[in-house]
Amino acid sequence: MKFVEEFRDPELGRALAVEILSLVEPGRHYKLMEVCGGHTHSIYKYGVDDLLPANVELVHGPGCPVCVIPMGRVDDGIALAHEDGVIFTCFGDMVRVPGANGSLLEAKASGADVRIVYSPLDALRIAKQNPDRQVVFFAIGFETTAPSTALTIKRARAEAVENFSVMCSHVTIVPPLRALLESPDLRLDGFIGPGHVSTIVGARPFEFIPADYGKPITIAGFEPLDILQAIVMILRQLAEGRCEVENQYSRVVPYEGNTRALEVMAEVFELRPHFEWRGLGFISHSGLKLSEAYADLDAERRFSVPGVRVADPKACQCGEVLKGVIKPWECKVFGTACTPERPIGTCMVSSEGACAAYYNFGRFAREREVV
Amino acid sequence: MSTLSGPECGAEHCITCGDDGLPMTVVRVDPRRGLALCAGEDGARSQVETALVEPVTVGDLLLVHAGTAIAPLMSSGSDIAR
Repeated sequence: MKFVEEFRDPELGRALAVEILSLVEPGRHYKLMEVCGGHTHSIYKYGVDDLLPANVELVHGPGCPVCVIPMGRVDDGIALAHEDGVIFTCFGDMVRVPGANGSLLEAKASGADVRIVYSPLDALRIAKQNPDRQVVFFAIGFETTAPSTALTIKRARAEAVENFSVMCSHVTIVPPLRALLESPDLRLDGFIGPGHVSTIVGARPFEFIPADYGKPITIAGFEPLDILQAIVMILRQLAEGRCEVENQYSRVVPYEGNTRALEVMAEVFELRPHFEWRGLGFISHSGLKLSEAYADLDAERRFSVPGVRVADPKACQCGEVLKGVIKPWECKVFGTACTPERPIGTCMVSSEGACAAYYNFGRFAREREVV
Repeated sequence: MSTLSGPECGAEHCITCGDDGLPMTVVRVDPRRGLALCAGEDGARSQVETALVEPVTVGDLLLVHAGTAIAPLMSSGSDIAR
């Protein structure tokens, strides 16, 4: 398919690997963070890191929307799913995320009507097919997914679907990046920017990274050549002493983003004063809720939601993995007590999670081989 | 552990909850409802919200995330990405 095969060409990949080698200074260690979980997944699926010199290290950031959902939020979802007459809908990976009181999958086993959907539109369709039931959609994701939820909320209003509501757990990408950059135990040389979030928000919101923190960022696509080329662009900036927002993914990402999506998000959502992130704690203005104009479609207003805060399990080091402080295999429970089949931490649940990516692609407990 | 009916996310990339986009080709357009029937790389078809990328025509290649087209990849008859 166009825009897919040409970005997986092995010869071009090897040429980019040679270019990367030519750009690194011997004796200098480079730490680059890929913000997005989709990049983490691609890097291990295609073995991108095996093409890098030993002194170029990729650090996995907080960009997996499942991984950053705190346990208390999962428990809130489970409580809603157990409400009388409720059909609780969510994306597939979310059902296995453990809360303090089990997962949504276990709630399903104990009688709750939990259904997996591929889109918010599917959840709305279930609502129309079940007018005597209340259908709740558990909305997660960054700015890539939020417009889809917003459009569905507008559609529910336009079509007067009164038995549909949304438990909004959408998050925004800039506040956690700023929190990471403020973290004293983090040393990074540059960022691989999130491709599809940027399709919506554009490149402009990332200008603070070079301006305020002196780090280069290159927005990248998800094919192996996209990621390799983005690494070339970051290393070239570092070699030339430049520090800018660059856009490797210009075939999809306009600098100003998708203005229609931004407008619909501004209409349907407003920022929460603060939102809890797994491993990162509470971050100001980092989560979205439904605006007053759409408050009647807010599941947290329609139902009683416990809103209890639950501390992460002590054995789990998802927070340090999400901040890039440790590699997944350095976690005490990685691959033993915590596996994709029985995850303790959220990073092991989603295929975008760093731990699951390492586990599924056989990176159990070793440093990368030197090329 | 119970199983759920319907689609599940496996070890492969989850197309909905990650920051993932799937190239899909427009097969039929329903402008009145703001929807299009689109086909993925594997031929599987699904209904897609098109409000963010309108106007769309049959043959357009769209980047689809969570049932919503978030960006056009190219117009039919053109090799150049918009």
